[in-house]
Amino acid sequence: MLILSLVEDRARHGYEIGKLIEARSGGRLTFALPTLYPTLLRLENRGLIKGRWVEKAGERERCFYRLTPEGRRVLAEQRATWKAYIEAVNAVMEPTRA
Amino acid sequence: MREWTAFVRAHLSLPQLTPEREARIIREVAAQLEDFYRDAVARGATDAEADAFARAQVGDWTRMARDVAHADRPHIRPRVDRVADHLETLAATHPQPGAFRMLANVLTDIRYGIRQMVKTPGFTIVAVLTLAFGIGASSAIFSVVNGVMLKPLSYPEPERLVRVMEILPQYGRFAVAPANFLDWRARTTVFEHISAFWPGNATYVGSDGPERLICASVSWDTFETLGIRPALGRGFRPEEEVRTRDNVIVISHGMWQKRFGSDPNVVGRALSLNGVPVEVVGVMPPNFYFPTRTAEFWRPLTFDANPTRGGHYLGVVARLKPGVSLDQASGEMKGIAEQLARQYPNTSRDESAETARMHDLIVGPVKPMLWTLLAAVGVVVLIACANVANLLLVRASVREKELAIRAAMGAGRGRLAFQMLIESLVLAIVGGAAGVLLGYLAITPIQTLGAGSIPRVLDVTLDRNVLAFTILVTLATGLLFGVAPAWQASRGGIGTVLKEGGRSSTGARGHRLRGLLLVGEVALSLVLLVGATLLLRSFARLTSVDPGFQPEHVLSFSVALPQTTYPGDQHRTQFFGRLLDTLRAMPGVQAAGMVQTVPIRNDYMLSFTIEGRPFEPGGEPSANYRAISPGYLAALSIPVLRGRQIEPSDDAATAPKVAVVDEAFAKKHFPGEDAIGHGIDIGNGTDGFYTIVGVVGNVHHEGLDATPRATMYAPFAHDLFGTMTMMVKVAGRPEDFAASARHAVREIDASLPAFAITPLKEVVTESVAERRFSMLLLAVFAMVALFLAAVGLYGVVAYAVSQRTQEIGLRMAIGAQREDVLRMVLTDGMKLALVGIVLGVGAALALARYVQSLLFEVTPFDPWSYVATAAVLLAVSALACYVPARRATAVDPLVALRAE
Repeated sequence: MLILSLVEDRARHGYEIGKLIEARSGGRLTFALPTLYPTLLRLENRGLIKGRWVEKAGERERCFYRLTPEGRRVLAEQRATWKAYIEAVNAVMEPTRA
Repeated sequence: MREWTAFVRAHLSLPQLTPEREARIIREVAAQLEDFYRDAVARGATDAEADAFARAQVGDWTRMARDVAHADRPHIRPRVDRVADHLETLAATHPQPGAFRMLANVLTDIRYGIRQMVKTPGFTIVAVLTLAFGIGASSAIFSVVNGVMLKPLSYPEPERLVRVMEILPQYGRFAVAPANFLDWRARTTVFEHISAFWPGNATYVGSDGPERLICASVSWDTFETLGIRPALGRGFRPEEEVRTRDNVIVISHGMWQKRFGSDPNVVGRALSLNGVPVEVVGVMPPNFYFPTRTAEFWRPLTFDANPTRGGHYLGVVARLKPGVSLDQASGEMKGIAEQLARQYPNTSRDESAETARMHDLIVGPVKPMLWTLLAAVGVVVLIACANVANLLLVRASVREKELAIRAAMGAGRGRLAFQMLIESLVLAIVGGAAGVLLGYLAITPIQTLGAGSIPRVLDVTLDRNVLAFTILVTLATGLLFGVAPAWQASRGGIGTVLKEGGRSSTGARGHRLRGLLLVGEVALSLVLLVGATLLLRSFARLTSVDPGFQPEHVLSFSVALPQTTYPGDQHRTQFFGRLLDTLRAMPGVQAAGMVQTVPIRNDYMLSFTIEGRPFEPGGEPSANYRAISPGYLAALSIPVLRGRQIEPSDDAATAPKVAVVDEAFAKKHFPGEDAIGHGIDIGNGTDGFYTIVGVVGNVHHEGLDATPRATMYAPFAHDLFGTMTMMVKVAGRPEDFAASARHAVREIDASLPAFAITPLKEVVTESVAERRFSMLLLAVFAMVALFLAAVGLYGVVAYAVSQRTQEIGLRMAIGAQREDVLRMVLTDGMKLALVGIVLGVGAALALARYVQSLLFEVTPFDPWSYVATAAVLLAVSALACYVPARRATAVDPLVALRAE
């Protein structure tokens, strides 16, 4: 879900995805390359994201991933599930108001 | 900065993935490591520090490779390709690369073959089913041949087991007289053991009431002869061959389980047989059967002080001493028997002995039939091969372009032929696997069909031998039907195909080859059909033979009176008289009588003399003998031709002795005069002659296929047997009378079972069971052959039509009528069929004499069978050609021409 939401708006390459997860979570979540890369491959093989090789001026050629329509559907689903889950957990955790 | 791609390539090895995929992954991982490096440098690290940082991103490369490969499963390459690549690499470095290259080619060809099969499922299903039928049939029949003929008997060192038989001047091989056996045993030097046996049965009263159990009386060392020791307890001792000491039995494993609940302390237990107490002294191991599978226990064979030399009823089995040959043993036994014949001319004149391997004796009678069936399935396999070869040829011409392109790209002709052959083998193996399954499924029906008529049929299993045979057949068929397409592939010219703009170039040649295969197929199926028809006609002739009696509506069942409770003649006469009276009084009973031996199932020969005609001792004539009660001839509807039948007044010990003979007897011994009034001395007794009072119709006592032997009937009252078979003619179904029969016996004596309860019709049916077995199987094979030939013919003609669409369209455009087209296509197909039929008739005529021994009153050259078979095949061929021919007439000339 994390990866899918990161490539939702625009295509990103693998290194960038790893860095973004680390940065946005304030360093609390890190995905090392050996974990992240197989995950990308798996998502691609399932048809949720699609990688394309792009060469930008002055930079090394990189593979940019972006969400497929199927990925978009799955992401929406996962978001809804996650939200419901968080709400349920919160409802349990919050002290009851008398 | 380091070359990251090379770094990753050195560490991350992904041979499972396709090369393209592997390259992409390496490229991407390298790009990411490079990003880590650049980032570190940008943050102020030295080159060495940044390099170390980037390298540290992946700690465990092996694990990563595994994770990546797992995540990228859809891109994993087939193992075959990987192995093939590996072999190619090996070949590149090896001084003699040929073998590696070839193996690599085989692997890729196998994969290609499988892919081809998957791509054309229709073709694959037809080809695999065809092969499965052929291979399945052959594996089933071979399993019978293997189980019945090839498997050794289930006794240790079975090749040393022999049977010794007497040779009687009038009858040939015969059972052994007890006195002769005792002399043999005393004089022989070639055997480790020689034993005699005599099958019998006995009444056992268990928890389910009285039952008749099948057993065998055996001389004391029979188990030693067979080489199998009891699993519990002991076998017999020499002194137990004496009548006063024979109250011991050894029971079978089956009886131990069924009637003693596998009691380990069964040895020493007493039970009652025929009302006499006996002690169980031993239990045989499981899977010990002798002399039949049905024997439940064994008891000692006893010999009188003065055993008979004239009554022959013992079977003799012996174990050769190690190193003694069959010929040596035969010679010695013959010598001993002839010595005895000279010594006792009154009883044994001109007698001799024959020694034969036990296995040969058991299997001998069914050998010709089994070989015929095996040959027949061989033919079915050949037809299946021809069919599949034809299919492959058709497909090969469709694939001509593909092959031409491969040839153009540098594949040698040999290489292409090789590829076609491997594809054929792949097909054969799949067909063979399906065939094994079919063969396995066929075993139980075959056993059911063959039970009772085929010896050892229960030994038939799908064992290693059968599997090896099937694998062999599979590979042979694969090569056989693969040769034609491979040969064609090796000859296809590249230029011609590519030039021809897609139309088949090998058309003419391929067509000829296909035609040739088809002719062979039709010829082979004709051979099978002729064989099946001959057997079918024989069977029809046999079953239409008048047995001399009417078995319909007759129930037969036996009752045995034990010596202990029915010791005297008057007791037996009384019991059987009451039983017959009870039966006759039952509702629905039309007639009831009894006999000591059931017709068709058993012989009972006795010698006799005719009053006023002297015979040399030992040279008396003999005839079939039946001790009967009044009512027997009526129950079986045996017609009285002259004189009278046996009346109730004759059936008393005090009544004058009378006999009835059949027509064969009258003709043989009283030609030109009336047999009635003559006296015969049955069994050369001393108590006077029987006066012949009537002549009745002939009865096939030895089976429908044997010429009826002369038979004499005498009243039971003068010759009392302890075991008799009742024949009850009822108005309804005889099966429905079984319960009443049991009841009638029980009412007179509750300790006696009625056994062997069988409708007489079944006895007749059983007697032709072996012939029915071979006929049915051959008929099934012939039908399969006919079907395959029809499919083959249809395929070839249909393909020819599809190839000639344009030509047909053109012909129609210039004025040919539908009938003309129909005739043209039909003629082409039928020409092939006719040639096949002519060749097939020739082949069948040449081969027919091999089935002679299976025929009955039909010559192997029976013209009717040939004509009918050819006509059927012709009709089926016409139908197979007509369907595609009809389609040809539906060609629209415009469409066909536009395609040009």
